[in-house]
Amino acid sequence: MRDVYIVGTGIHPWTGFSEQVFADFAAVAVEGALKDAGVEWQKIQAIMAGIFIYGGNAGHLSGQYLESIFGETGVPVVNVYNACATGSAAIRMAFNSVAAGETDTALAFGADVSPKGFLTAKSDNAVQDRDVIRWKMGGMPNPIYWALECRKRMEKYDTTEEDLALVKVLMSEYGSKNPDARFKKPYSLEEVMNSVYVCDPLRLFEICPVSTGAAAVIITADPELIKKADKPVKINATTMGSAIYGDPTIRISALSCPATPEAPMLSESYSASRQAYEKSGIGPEDIDVLELPDNSSWHYLVYLETCGFCKEGEADKMLRDGETKIGGKLPVNPSGGFSSHGEALSAQAIWQVIECANQLRGRGGERQVEGAKVAMAQTYGLMGNSGTTIMSI
Amino acid sequence: MENMANKVARIPNLVDWSTGEVRLMSAKCNSCGTYFFPKEHYQHRPGCSREGVEEVLLPKKGKLASYTIQHYPCPPPFKTEKKITPYGIGLVEFTDENIQVAGIITDTDLKSLKIGMEMETTTLPMYTNEEKQEVVTWAFRAVQ
Ligand SMILES: [Zn+2]
Repeated sequence: MRDVYIVGTGIHPWTGFSEQVFADFAAVAVEGALKDAGVEWQKIQAIMAGIFIYGGNAGHLSGQYLESIFGETGVPVVNVYNACATGSAAIRMAFNSVAAGETDTALAFGADVSPKGFLTAKSDNAVQDRDVIRWKMGGMPNPIYWALECRKRMEKYDTTEEDLALVKVLMSEYGSKNPDARFKKPYSLEEVMNSVYVCDPLRLFEICPVSTGAAAVIITADPELIKKADKPVKINATTMGSAIYGDPTIRISALSCPATPEAPMLSESYSASRQAYEKSGIGPEDIDVLELPDNSSWHYLVYLETCGFCKEGEADKMLRDGETKIGGKLPVNPSGGFSSHGEALSAQAIWQVIECANQLRGRGGERQVEGAKVAMAQTYGLMGNSGTTIMSI
Repeated sequence: MENMANKVARIPNLVDWSTGEVRLMSAKCNSCGTYFFPKEHYQHRPGCSREGVEEVLLPKKGKLASYTIQHYPCPPPFKTEKKITPYGIGLVEFTDENIQVAGIITDTDLKSLKIGMEMETTTLPMYTNEEKQEVVTWAFRAVQ
């Protein structure tokens, strides 16, 4: 395995529902990444594409559609789906291809257009697709799952409703300073506490909606491209994890979970992060900036524990003590997080990696974490999907 | 006892009332000891021979392990004739079977919900179908 770098990144800013097609969003992000890297399209030797699940044939073959826009070159194009960790899968494949020497330069991208209306079941076959049951009979949209876990946490530890609201206050402050974020209004603690419950104890401003967005990275081991890049970012490890038997988390789609844990909660993310620590030789104590998947305020807290940044039940204290602020011991989500962006399924993991790369390259603007040398992007997708990327400069 | 003759679950093989008691339809793996719900949603212990999976009914009663109150209607295909929001969703633990199952909470004052309280399995009417049958889902309620 050889050293592999991110030399170019591109984002289409996050936004709401759009009539525009996903490939147009993807093209903006890819064009941005090519320009940032100063790389010609013909230098891309593999395309790893996150699929757009609501895009029919085009969405399922998103890599081919993207390739045709820039010009078909015959390179390997692989389209991948791992729920909300789809982007992690694309990056991991690009990294592995380059690190192994199969290719010198690879592109990973994801683009998603928010579906009109609600997220719901994608088939009608309850035997084959068990996601159907929770929609047809369970009355259980995604935030219900988070609320059930959040309530357990509040019963077990001293997590309060103020803690949950404080996460949004912080995220909205950072989001307001991020030109690529969708939600740019800063909220006070009072405003968040006065927002309506969606599923008690989680309030409207404490869960993230679905969004439109696109993100792309160019990954290379080509010495020429590394040399001419503006501050190339080394990928120390990029891993994926799946769930472990006995994980007590009630997983989105599922209708049951074990009563007695035999594995850590969110075990897919426990797996991905521990693999990344082992492969990179970098531990949580070495991380200068962290992007974690704050699908809800509960996620923000639990992910600090899942990834080993503190012991179980201690995340609330880190938050209250300001340790997770920019300027604190471990700045978390200087991007404003999912809370300020919303989920753009196949793009979000790539966008998290780009935010980390921007921080390491000193491009954080008003949100810059001073002196950041090592960053970690952690993602999470339903049904046991997770990815971790550790980067350094 | 409710009139159960003209009642049908919206999706089969999840909830049973043929014994006179409403109970969830599970399956137990006699090799690794894991209970599954839904019963075909196998989640064996790694290395299990997967032999001897037997259909079983979960006990009628369990205890509330967590809950939330949903304040907005669940989007389609979920449907109920009557407005049910706000409604509770509970995670009910069947301790001996080492499983917690999620379901709508019905016939219960939502303000009285408390982790650890005893719950029992029941059904919740959703709508009447073209055959004039009452279509139901499984649900939980506080034990009186
Ligand atoms: Zn088994």
